[in-house]
Amino acid sequence: MADSSSTPAVHTPVDLDRINVILATDCGSTTTKAILIEKVDGEYRQTFRGEAPTTVEEPAADVTMGVVNSVTEVGELAGRRLIDDDGQVIRPATETEGCDLYISTSSAGGGLQMMVAGVVREMTAASAKRAALGAGAIVMDTIATNDKRLPHEQIQRIRELRPDMILISGGTDGGTTTHVVQIAELVAPAKPQPRFGGEYRMPVIFAGNVDAREPIEATFDESVELSLVDNLRPTMERENLGPARDMIHDLFLEHVMAHAPGYDKLMSWTNAPIMPTPGAVGNILQQIATQRNVNAVGVDIGGATTDVFSVFDGTFNRTVSANLGMSYSISNVCAEATLPRILRWVPFEMDERELRNRVKNKMIRPTTIPQTLESLLFEQAVAREALRLAYVQHKEFATTLKGVQQQRTIGDTFSQEIGGQTIVDNMALDLLVASGGVLSHAPRMQQTAAMLVDAFQPEGITTLAKDSIFMMPHLGVLAQVHAEAAVQVFERDCLIYLGTCVAPKGAGKPGKTCFGFQVSGTSIDTTGEISVGELRLLPLADGETAEATIEPARNFDIGAGAGKTVTRTVRGGTVGLLLDGRGRPLDLPEDRTACRQAVTDWSNALGLADLARLN
Amino acid sequence: MAQAYTPGLKVTPHTQHRVRRILPISGTVLKSVGDRVRASDVVAETFMPGNITPMNVANMLSMPPADVPECMLLAEGDTVEDGTILAQTKGIFGMFKSTCASRAAGTVETISNVTGQVIIRGTPLPVQVTAYVSGEVVEVIEGEGVTVESDVCFIQGIFGIGGETMGPIAMACENPEQELSADRISDEMAGAVIVGGGRVTGDAVRRAIQIGAAAIVSGGLDDADLRDILGFDLGVAITGSERIGLTLVVTEGFGEIAMAERTHRLLASHDGREASVNGTTQIRAGVMRPEIVIPLPEGSTPPESDNRATEGLLETSTPVRVIRDPYFGLIGRVADLPAEPQALGSESRARVLTVTSADGETVVVPRANIEIISE
Amino acid sequence: MVERRLGILLTAVVLTGLPAGKLVAADAPRPPSHVRAEDRGWDGGDAVDVIVGISPDDKPDTDPPGVAHYVVRWSGEYGGVYEHAETVVADKNAYRSGEVRLTFEQLELGEPYFFRVRAVGPDGSESLHVETAREAAVRPVAQAFSGRRAWLVLITLIICGSVVYFILMARRGKPLQIRKIAGLEAVDEAVGRATEMGRPCLFVPGILDMNEIQTIAGLTVLSRVAQVAAEYGAHIEVPTSKSLVMTTASETVESAFLAAGRPESFNEDDVYYVTDEQFGYVAYLSGMMVREKPAACFYMGAFFAESLILAETGNSIGAIQVAGTAMPSQLPFFVAACDYTLIGEEFFAASAYLSGDPDQLGSLKGQDVGKVIVAVLVIVGCLLDTLNSMTSIEFFETATTFLRDTILKSG
Repeated sequence: MADSSSTPAVHTPVDLDRINVILATDCGSTTTKAILIEKVDGEYRQTFRGEAPTTVEEPAADVTMGVVNSVTEVGELAGRRLIDDDGQVIRPATETEGCDLYISTSSAGGGLQMMVAGVVREMTAASAKRAALGAGAIVMDTIATNDKRLPHEQIQRIRELRPDMILISGGTDGGTTTHVVQIAELVAPAKPQPRFGGEYRMPVIFAGNVDAREPIEATFDESVELSLVDNLRPTMERENLGPARDMIHDLFLEHVMAHAPGYDKLMSWTNAPIMPTPGAVGNILQQIATQRNVNAVGVDIGGATTDVFSVFDGTFNRTVSANLGMSYSISNVCAEATLPRILRWVPFEMDERELRNRVKNKMIRPTTIPQTLESLLFEQAVAREALRLAYVQHKEFATTLKGVQQQRTIGDTFSQEIGGQTIVDNMALDLLVASGGVLSHAPRMQQTAAMLVDAFQPEGITTLAKDSIFMMPHLGVLAQVHAEAAVQVFERDCLIYLGTCVAPKGAGKPGKTCFGFQVSGTSIDTTGEISVGELRLLPLADGETAEATIEPARNFDIGAGAGKTVTRTVRGGTVGLLLDGRGRPLDLPEDRTACRQAVTDWSNALGLADLARLN
Repeated sequence: MAQAYTPGLKVTPHTQHRVRRILPISGTVLKSVGDRVRASDVVAETFMPGNITPMNVANMLSMPPADVPECMLLAEGDTVEDGTILAQTKGIFGMFKSTCASRAAGTVETISNVTGQVIIRGTPLPVQVTAYVSGEVVEVIEGEGVTVESDVCFIQGIFGIGGETMGPIAMACENPEQELSADRISDEMAGAVIVGGGRVTGDAVRRAIQIGAAAIVSGGLDDADLRDILGFDLGVAITGSERIGLTLVVTEGFGEIAMAERTHRLLASHDGREASVNGTTQIRAGVMRPEIVIPLPEGSTPPESDNRATEGLLETSTPVRVIRDPYFGLIGRVADLPAEPQALGSESRARVLTVTSADGETVVVPRANIEIISE
Repeated sequence: MVERRLGILLTAVVLTGLPAGKLVAADAPRPPSHVRAEDRGWDGGDAVDVIVGISPDDKPDTDPPGVAHYVVRWSGEYGGVYEHAETVVADKNAYRSGEVRLTFEQLELGEPYFFRVRAVGPDGSESLHVETAREAAVRPVAQAFSGRRAWLVLITLIICGSVVYFILMARRGKPLQIRKIAGLEAVDEAVGRATEMGRPCLFVPGILDMNEIQTIAGLTVLSRVAQVAAEYGAHIEVPTSKSLVMTTASETVESAFLAAGRPESFNEDDVYYVTDEQFGYVAYLSGMMVREKPAACFYMGAFFAESLILAETGNSIGAIQVAGTAMPSQLPFFVAACDYTLIGEEFFAASAYLSGDPDQLGSLKGQDVGKVIVAVLVIVGCLLDTLNSMTSIEFFETATTFLRDTILKSG
């Protein structure tokens, strides 16, 4: 191990059967989190965790210091020595020290920031954006022929941005060359500067028309590092994001990471390539969705941004809503959603002028926390709107491919649908996973569940869960090395199941029957009826399941069609079984008094807060 | 662990302040090391490459792009005027030639035989950088700019709008609690940096813009007023490029809040002196706060070690201010620092502290919701 | 003979001032109670209404009836020769009101008319006559408006009014909701595909000339297609089969490129004339499609037998095809072979849809009101007539007649 710092251990083959102890770290922009996974009774379990401030910036300027600190804390808790006297991770594991596998993710220094370009914004440029987002990058801007900007404006924009990397796509194989070269002719003279100083050449990936490679190579001079990969849209009908995504990861390690302080050392320690944190989260979600054959949506709401991940029928999508968050961006949520829409979710009156000041004060002092119940409920109302807006953006982005030829029959005469429809289908959604401060730190689990249901409005029968200690990034990298271990830990320790939401789609008159239910399990056996506008919580403990038969009314649909009965096994959780008769799409009463009453009723039904205390 | 770190704002009566004045792209530096500069002096200048005008010559002359280089009358690097003939077709037997004229003045940047596009680069745009703070040039970064150093009184605000400006300080409020209303602004304050006390009203800002003040510095501001002044609801706290007529710096926060006693005292002590103000704020990774920089007269001695910034250790009897509702703006001293997390009104558990205010009231607040203030 | 005898009798009655009934034979019915002639209002001055008060002997449900019918005679001169004009029988309405109404049309404007009426018994015996007096001569007078067209006025007012109303609404910035027309939304997608694949877009404006409204509608869509093509930097080709269409299309494309801010990308040679011959034109298009493989084909205008040839060729080369025509016989072919089809009205609505111009949007919306009225009348009419034929309720009969004869014939 002594010479590991000079020869990267990235590709060291690992014998999966002999892995007993796994160490994983995630270097975030403020804290570095380490977790230890051990084989207990033949199963992988997450056992200990530790954290320490990230040390990318001055004065330390060496990310490994934070890693060592967090790992040492884990080691102390576990009673296992993980770091040797030279400050290196000890491998392989023995009875009392070391680990068999060490992996890491990173989002320090603002993560991976990219600029993407393509020919048509909705086609190759969108594919390029998907590739970059899927790889875990933040897309700063998308340049396209039809982005309504004049060429000099586009050049100005490229100059202002300081991305870590540029991805250029465009044209199908054998398609347009002119447009692609035109884009390159915009990028080349703009001479974009990399974010971390002028020490390295700007990495540019070309993943477009293979016929355009030669002119593209001729367009760029020595000042950029040009890599050519397979076209990410070889035909209009097919997307091939894999090669571009892999190249982004490679370049991320080679260039971006290598120039961040201490990463060269960290890279030599790990058994698998370091991944950008969101990329890893996407990875594990995809893994789980594929393995269980479910459709899943994951959300991570942070202070500045909100990430939404979705897997529908095996297709993975990720979006980053850059200005929707709970602290730095809270004011923007209020500006975009408008205060009246936020206040719909608040069960009492608030003074608008004072609220506006509160919101701005939270923005300029992002670290403060709500002290009173009143401000907690307001913050959760903001979270609902932020999540809703982020999900709307996600739906708009996660679409079928545009520009594909359609096959029609006479039957389609009056029902012609255009291409590029969203693939996000709330009715088909099976699992909704929450993470991020406001969701995972809510004092009552019911609040987390309510925020998820109100913002995402799942339809049909949907399992709700939250990430216990934000372990998904670690598991995402682990999945690449040891999928079995990753899935086991994900199942047992990562997710905290909140319960299941049953919500038929449709609308009806308040008070009329929405659906009848019959739930039978080991601890529960009950039947009843939910009326339109009603919300009810049935206790169903974590780990328990029950058979639920839902009989929707004539104009409601629980998944099998309007009025059709569905029987399904539902999963319990810390919250239980949530029967939601409010209808979908969820409309709140326009009238403020009626709205406040409705929200109060729902709050009482779920036990969200002790509202009596406020009066 | 009876301490906590709060990222306070810098308010210091005397510090050696260095500013790097750098051009966005390389150019000429006009000053050399040792030069004394005034705030408004230009220290470096350059010409931004002009705007780009692409012209599709191939389409304009109805010919394949590959033929464009042959038909060009000008080469890359040649100067063109608006209307200069750029290219001419060969025509038929030397007749029926069609031509294509430039639509912009500048130089021919590139001629492409793939797209048939000729790119004309417009005439350069001059860009100048001023010293911003009076002082001495201590470093010249060749081709980029200079570093100016001076002894200054340096005050950071928490939020601002508008960019760099300068002017003499004019005190409009006698004490830090006083509201800065329109009637406190007089015509003599034109071109000045107006210092208020507590909240500045929207009318006062409009009045200041009307008389042509350079900047306003005050304790608080109502968000509703901010929206009226800007004309839109500010979403993301990245400011500095607004053009509202003056630069506005808020030192404490939004709503009814008094300016910190120390800040007000410091500003008052420099009444009439030239100050440089920048409202640029960026509340993100790589945070930027607005600032008020007052160059001190030469030979002023550093004060007796009172260089404490508003950050430090949190101990019993440390003066603090609550920065979140329900006690927003309350000033007091730490009375107790319980180690164990306690349940808050919101039912969350967090580490708290007890604050006793000047009038003897005692409140319990989460540690995340206070900031340490200097006396 | 009879007339003269009756004339004498009547004269006798008038002279003696005695009731006429008392002097006639017992088997003849008593005469009508009165007769009155009036000019028909709100007409062109060619009709008068004659109102006959029924005879006291004329009672419903008597057998044999007291009066079989009434005979109306007229003359242009009082006391002149009265000619037979009309025979009329009292119906239920007449018994209810005690009067029989009848109308004489196609009369001379401004000429005087005089009427005499007799009741005729079942055995053919006639009563004494009653007549319109000398001073009560009726003269048809013309009015400015025709009352029979009142319904037309009402319907016109509703439709025009709603057009005006919606235009005003649209101008005031009230958003008018228009259903998404997939075929027009797909223009971006089709042109985008052509751009990415480096292939041209083909636009066929039909085979009829500029006097055909469909060609004009097609050129409106062309303006949109050309603008998108200009924005995307795609190559668009417009072969035409009429010289006038070529000129107009060329202008349309040029101004679209100008609007997109890319005037220099416009190439005149991309809009050209092929031939007036239907199949010569089609042969050219098919050949060109197979050779150049455009990635987006638009067929917008009037099409005949060539529709399926074009659409099938386009389908075989893998192009996104958008068609629009108001030819009912060609629509099924387009629907089956193209990706998107604008059907009839959609095609004409395209210009309003694409421009978003308040005046056009408003009139589109207003026309919809007209369509709704027509649809409602058709449904109500069908229902009434069905009910009328199935039941014998008088209301349905009256309503059907009123709808058919008064409302619908008012136009």
